[in-house]
Amino acid sequence: MVGEGGLPGGDPVAVVRQFGEQVPHSRDLGMQVLAVEDDQVRMRLVPQPWLLDDDDAADLCSSVLYSLADSAAGLAVYAATRTLTPIATLDLRMDYLRPAAGDRAVVALARCLRFTEDVALVHCEIRSEGQTQPVATGTVNFMRNTQGRRFQAADEGDQRA
Amino acid sequence: MTDVRPGPPMRIPGADAEAAWQILLARIPYARHLGLEVRRHDSGRELHLPYREPLIGNILLPALHGGVLGALVEITARVAAQSADAGGRRPQLLNCDIDYLRSARAQSTFARAEMIRQGRRSGLVRVICRQDDPPVGRVQLLFPGAAGPTRGPR
Repeated sequence: MVGEGGLPGGDPVAVVRQFGEQVPHSRDLGMQVLAVEDDQVRMRLVPQPWLLDDDDAADLCSSVLYSLADSAAGLAVYAATRTLTPIATLDLRMDYLRPAAGDRAVVALARCLRFTEDVALVHCEIRSEGQTQPVATGTVNFMRNTQGRRFQAADEGDQRA
Repeated sequence: MTDVRPGPPMRIPGADAEAAWQILLARIPYARHLGLEVRRHDSGRELHLPYREPLIGNILLPALHGGVLGALVEITARVAAQSADAGGRRPQLLNCDIDYLRSARAQSTFARAEMIRQGRRSGLVRVICRQDDPPVGRVQLLFPGAAGPTRGPR
């Protein structure tokens, strides 16, 4: 059991997954939370025809990778801090290394490198599944403990009673 | 998989820049999915992202997902760069670096591009997003034909 402001319940994977998969945009793009370990989160996205870059190309649109990086990075902050207080993206930089094939799932691995009460820094690498070289990397700065309500997990009432 | 880039140069009707933007935008499946539209403003064109519920990233505020603004910024930069390119070449994004100034509310968002540098091999575009007040984005694009990492094998 965690203390005040911590992750409700005992299973961080379940809570982060529940949180991550409640986000409408993440759901719209079909993002799945694969794993939550220590300060890392792994997310997966299966390309769809409406996520492609151009009618004449078979690559994923870079902006889909951008969204995946932003989502995975935000969840990595929660994984590392074990706290579901609101965060806000301050700055996100993506570098696109090579095209991401539109017929292959992509997997993002986000790791929170450092956090304080105020900020958190996350690095994210995205690979096409089965490939060793990343298709994109991202670096994200978050502001922590921004205004707004904490996320309430479905079972939080029971856990915190 | 064959590398389809760069594609054949596209003839863009020079007389009607708004139509050119429409044509370029209509080719991007993800832009159609998001519902992006071309709009005219005083001194040029901008992209409009109408609000829809699936664009939300924070259900508590509520606020648009940072990635949705990323897409608006990137696609605005792409369309602006391609329409400004003499050969109509489709640019490949090298990187994208966005500063978020405030959370984007659940309402219409607009983005305008400014070509900072337009070279033969690369270009730099600055994009400003606004609702009532602007978050800011900045995008650097690499044009095809350059010997950059984006030209490498998968």
